[in-house]
Amino acid sequence: MPEPILRVKALKKRFGGLLALSDVSFSVAEGEIYGVIGPNGAGKTTLFSCLVGSLPPTSGSIRFRGREIAGLPNHAVVKRGLVRTHQIVRPFRDMTVEANVSIGAHFGAGKRRGADARGRVAAILERTGLGARAGSLAMALPIGDLKRLEIARALATEPAVLCLDEVMGGLNPSEIVAAMSLIRAIRDSGLTVLMIEHHVHAVAGVTDRMLVLNFGEMIAEGVPRDVLQHPEVVTAYLGDDAGAA
Amino acid sequence: MRRLSLAAGVSLAVFTLAAPLFLERGTLNDVWSLAFAVILASAWNILGGFAGQVSLGYSAFLGIGAYTTVLLSLKGMDPFLSLPIGAVLAAIFSVAIGLPAFRLRGPYFTIATIGVGEAVRVCASSVSFTGGSSGLRMPAGSFDFTRNYEAMAVLAILTVVVAALVKRSAFGQALAAIKQDIDAAEALGVNSTRFKLGAHALSAAIVALAGSLYAINFQYIAPGSVFDFRLSLSIVLMPIVGGVGTIAGPVLGALVFSTLQIKLLSIPALRDSYLFIYGTLLIVVMLFEPKGILGLLRRVFNRRLRRFYADA
Repeated sequence: MPEPILRVKALKKRFGGLLALSDVSFSVAEGEIYGVIGPNGAGKTTLFSCLVGSLPPTSGSIRFRGREIAGLPNHAVVKRGLVRTHQIVRPFRDMTVEANVSIGAHFGAGKRRGADARGRVAAILERTGLGARAGSLAMALPIGDLKRLEIARALATEPAVLCLDEVMGGLNPSEIVAAMSLIRAIRDSGLTVLMIEHHVHAVAGVTDRMLVLNFGEMIAEGVPRDVLQHPEVVTAYLGDDAGAA
Repeated sequence: MRRLSLAAGVSLAVFTLAAPLFLERGTLNDVWSLAFAVILASAWNILGGFAGQVSLGYSAFLGIGAYTTVLLSLKGMDPFLSLPIGAVLAAIFSVAIGLPAFRLRGPYFTIATIGVGEAVRVCASSVSFTGGSSGLRMPAGSFDFTRNYEAMAVLAILTVVVAALVKRSAFGQALAAIKQDIDAAEALGVNSTRFKLGAHALSAAIVALAGSLYAINFQYIAPGSVFDFRLSLSIVLMPIVGGVGTIAGPVLGALVFSTLQIKLLSIPALRDSYLFIYGTLLIVVMLFEPKGILGLLRRVFNRRLRRFYADA
């Protein structure tokens, strides 16, 4: 079996007295779509923050493409090919959509400049459906486009692994269908995708395997059908009564 | 508007370079002060305006340039040859301050820079090789106004050109991203510390060059003059009043500031009041037009343009 592209072992994150992540371990194979689900406050976003280095993990190991990256600063992890989007979108509001995306192209793993960067940015804008918006200021975009802008900027860094934090939150059903096909297309272009989603059925429809977190602990991992029938998962989502029924 | 400000900038540059041909010495002195103010404002704007890191410690760099030049001139060096040395020292010092200070954000960074500026002034007043609080005098025969004027004019033009190039480059784009959302910038691979240090070093070096020329022109420096906190304050006020983060804004602010200062200094009763008047101007700008004089001009110009098209 080939070495997984991302291998997390005994990852722990403590905030004072709160253990936000305790002993999280999993592996993601190249080309997989891997889901991370769990109720509010389960530690999903903290997990992503630790992976990309925007928060330093308390302990544990994160091996990415065979090298240890735990403790590296965020920008260094991005340059190695692991990038995330933010659940609460964080566009550079006073910049155009194109300028937003070109930051990723200039400073990500690709480090492209000049015409090379512009070509790459144009291609990504087309692919994410933002082509017509290239010249608009980010502050003028509706939420659906801002979510796409988050993905476009992350793609512009030319990652090997893309971590999507609730990109479907706040989207309407037809936008969710479009987002799911975009995620599949991203995977088919050779990337590995990790995705946090609140929307359990949306994530089950698109992921190969998934991980369930509850209060910072892993309670299940596997293919979506098995995971969603796991008694602890049912309890975590629906409460004790539903688990007993 | 873009073409208009480019035309205005080029005319200003030509005027500054050609001024010795037709202006008398007294007026030329005022143009020298204007060029000095343009350098300080535009250089500060690279870090403070483009990257949003508001430093109130820039007198430190001015003083490092000034002291380097005086000390090396006293050792027998040509004052003008000491300029790059002062610039390099200021850049190194800016990195030394920046490494800890850039860990702080927003107002905390600003407060730290006030501390650094004051600490440098106190140090310069208490050690002996700087002449302590009584200061140092340039060696006799080092005064050359014509040469100094030319150097100051060229440096002012170069500073504005460098700032414009930085703003348009990938480096400038990284600074803009840092200004708007530093965490989002990091999340896209921008090494924010490195870019902030780079912008700090570049602007510190330019300010030190101006400080060296200042020392040569005034022939005498003391901690109370070149490391003065009011100087740091003026450096910040000019770009803010003119239009922070733009190219023309700091130049406009410097124009207003140096004109105001020259006019007020000539009235004995108002000699010390220029900071008060400037502070009032700052409050007015912050309240009514945070984009400064340039923002105001843009609004007026756009309205007239719209009216022109509506009439046509």
